Amino acid sequence: MAANKPRTSSFSRNVGVVPTSQVPGLKHGPNGTVFLSSGIADLDKILGGGFCLGSLVIIMEDPDAPHHMLLLRNFMSQGLVHKQPLFYASPAKEPRGFLGTLPNPVSLKDDKSREHDTEQEKTLRIAWQYKKYFEDQNLDSQKDGKVEYCSDFDLRRPLDRHALSGQCIDCVSLQDCPNLATLYDRCSTFLAQIPRFDGNITLAGRISIQSFSAPQCHFSDKEWDMLSFIRSLKSLVRSSNAVAAMTFPPSLVSPTVLKRWQHLADTLLSVRAVPDEDKDLAKLLTGYQDMLGLLNVHKVARINTQVPVILEATTYSMKLHKRRSLVLECLNQAPVDGSSGTSHATSGSCSVSSKTGALDF
Amino acid sequence: MAAEAISRALRDGALEGEHAPALTIKDSIHAPLGAFVFDHILAQLSSNISSSKSQAQGIVLVAFARSPQFYAELLKSKANDAASLKKWLRIVDCYTDPLGWKIQLAESGIVSNRSTQNATTASLCKNVRDLDMLFSSIVELGKEVIRETKGRFAVAIDSVSEILRHASISSAASLLSNLRSHDQVACLFWLFHSDLHEMKASSALEYISSMVACVEPISNTANGKGMNSENVPLIEQNLGRGKFSVRFKRRNGRIRLMSEELHTEQMGINFVPAFEGHVTSQSLVPKVQFNLQLSEKERNDRAKVVLPFEHQGDGKPIQIYDGRRSVSESKTENKETNAEKMHVNEDSGRGEIIYIRDSDDEMPDSDEDPDDDLISDSTIFFLTVGILELLTN
Repeated sequence: MAANKPRTSSFSRNVGVVPTSQVPGLKHGPNGTVFLSSGIADLDKILGGGFCLGSLVIIMEDPDAPHHMLLLRNFMSQGLVHKQPLFYASPAKEPRGFLGTLPNPVSLKDDKSREHDTEQEKTLRIAWQYKKYFEDQNLDSQKDGKVEYCSDFDLRRPLDRHALSGQCIDCVSLQDCPNLATLYDRCSTFLAQIPRFDGNITLAGRISIQSFSAPQCHFSDKEWDMLSFIRSLKSLVRSSNAVAAMTFPPSLVSPTVLKRWQHLADTLLSVRAVPDEDKDLAKLLTGYQDMLGLLNVHKVARINTQVPVILEATTYSMKLHKRRSLVLECLNQAPVDGSSGTSHATSGSCSVSSKTGALDF
Repeated sequence: MAAEAISRALRDGALEGEHAPALTIKDSIHAPLGAFVFDHILAQLSSNISSSKSQAQGIVLVAFARSPQFYAELLKSKANDAASLKKWLRIVDCYTDPLGWKIQLAESGIVSNRSTQNATTASLCKNVRDLDMLFSSIVELGKEVIRETKGRFAVAIDSVSEILRHASISSAASLLSNLRSHDQVACLFWLFHSDLHEMKASSALEYISSMVACVEPISNTANGKGMNSENVPLIEQNLGRGKFSVRFKRRNGRIRLMSEELHTEQMGINFVPAFEGHVTSQSLVPKVQFNLQLSEKERNDRAKVVLPFEHQGDGKPIQIYDGRRSVSESKTENKETNAEKMHVNEDSGRGEIIYIRDSDDEMPDSDEDPDDDLISDSTIFFLTVGILELLTN
């Protein structure tokens, strides 16, 4: 069923009128929140719609692998496709260079394969009768020809020139910032153009900060300054129509600061690398050959509600679908001889054990 | 294997638009063989450069811990002559006068200036605290060795530990990452003593590099306690042998781990493949709760389960307590597979279930057993007797 009754639980904020969203790239979510897409359809589904406007997304990097760049690329490209202003900061000397690596959405002529899939689905209709209970927003929007909420990005092709030109893209090199106050000023100037009012939202923006505590930055040893910057950034983002995504390497900060950092996030993800040619992992996981890395979802943003999100699975494998777009899949694991001896099944077994417990049925 | 893979990666250099491969060689006091590994890799890269097999057309060597003469001698002994060395080798001399004291003393006239002639072109660095100046002198010297405009050079830094004595980790890291992202640098590698610095410095350097090579003692018990004067044989052993493990960050985003042993010899070091330990990657994936294997205890318990059949296959007649007092009729009742009558048998110890049928005085299952009309008790009895007769005849 496409239309949902608004939740009237006492733990969730009641929103009187739910306006229809005319702005491309924004979607209304529960509890009066507005979502924008992360650029990866699977991630949007896992997070319950996308990234919430006003939230801070933190991605913990793995120092051995550049998978966080994939997430950031999709995030930034999605913003440019929807013509949302973008602010990008990185430790490189020339951050503009990164814009050349942003992926392009899959063009319409590649959609022929998708039509073929829908035809196949018709023949399976008898078995899959419950499909009508699922929301099928994406399919609808494709047929209308409108801009999709979440585009399918082809990682092999760079973003078209026309998407980059004429856009409000602000790039900052973190090495050029002598201290965090300058960076904070740049962020607040950027966010001043997308303030939040109670009326309809016309524009949403994205902030993307890559490798925030990289050792090249001069402020990387001032951990408390970095924490207070993140807090201030979070408050700036809350009062504007933007989403801030930040990545950082957790191995470079001290453990107590790392805990605080993790708590500051509204949505917390982490990426991990997998070893190459590892026979054990190949036996444990099906699809190991195609795997790029692992993505963990630690925390999902919940704004205006106290009801938490409990995910079915928190570890996903990152793969490339047809070598071009990033997909996230649940892990298919072989059963592991994990906790030796204390298997949870023995308590209810019908085996006769030599020693009996106090309550022996 | 691992050392050759490193040499190959450094020889192949950087792709267009990519950062140059960077190697960290890490050692500690327990296995102080890092300098040997550095020399070995330097020699390998030099031979690739002089035979034009590598992307790099020259090397800029930043010498902190050892003098430029040492390196000139080292490379000459590996079948390079002085003239060809001049073509592709440049040395930044941070060894002779790193903080500029000798110059100051000479200028103030206290000490007479005795300048030594060095065979190689070594550019003297008088202030190692100024990393920007160091960066520009490296780049300048690099431009001297490359032959064409699109050429690249390699950079080797004797010891980043020495840099970290005079500069902060962030400026050292920014020097290294700027070198990596410079489009004329083919590859770079450096030596680092991990026990001289905080963990943070070590992890920062590992973060910047694309290959990390660790030299560790063979036996891991050589920590703290073992390294005192009583354990001289162990210390001596660690000076001659070590475990060489390398972590490669590959382009596809995966990590490759390789490990071998290294032995010091007269003419340098030798790498020997070692038995690779079993690396369990079970920590990466979440533990799955179900377990299809049986542990030993579970297997034993399973063997002890009393099954509701006529006999357990071990030749002994079994009596299954079926809830009624009259056990003598059990022979004919054994065929009953009604689950209500099965109970935990005499081994149950403290707990027991005592089941007393309400309808105790009735004939057993005369009206309950639906199979009664299919077969009757007496027929079974006669059949059993018949089989016994056949067997005894």
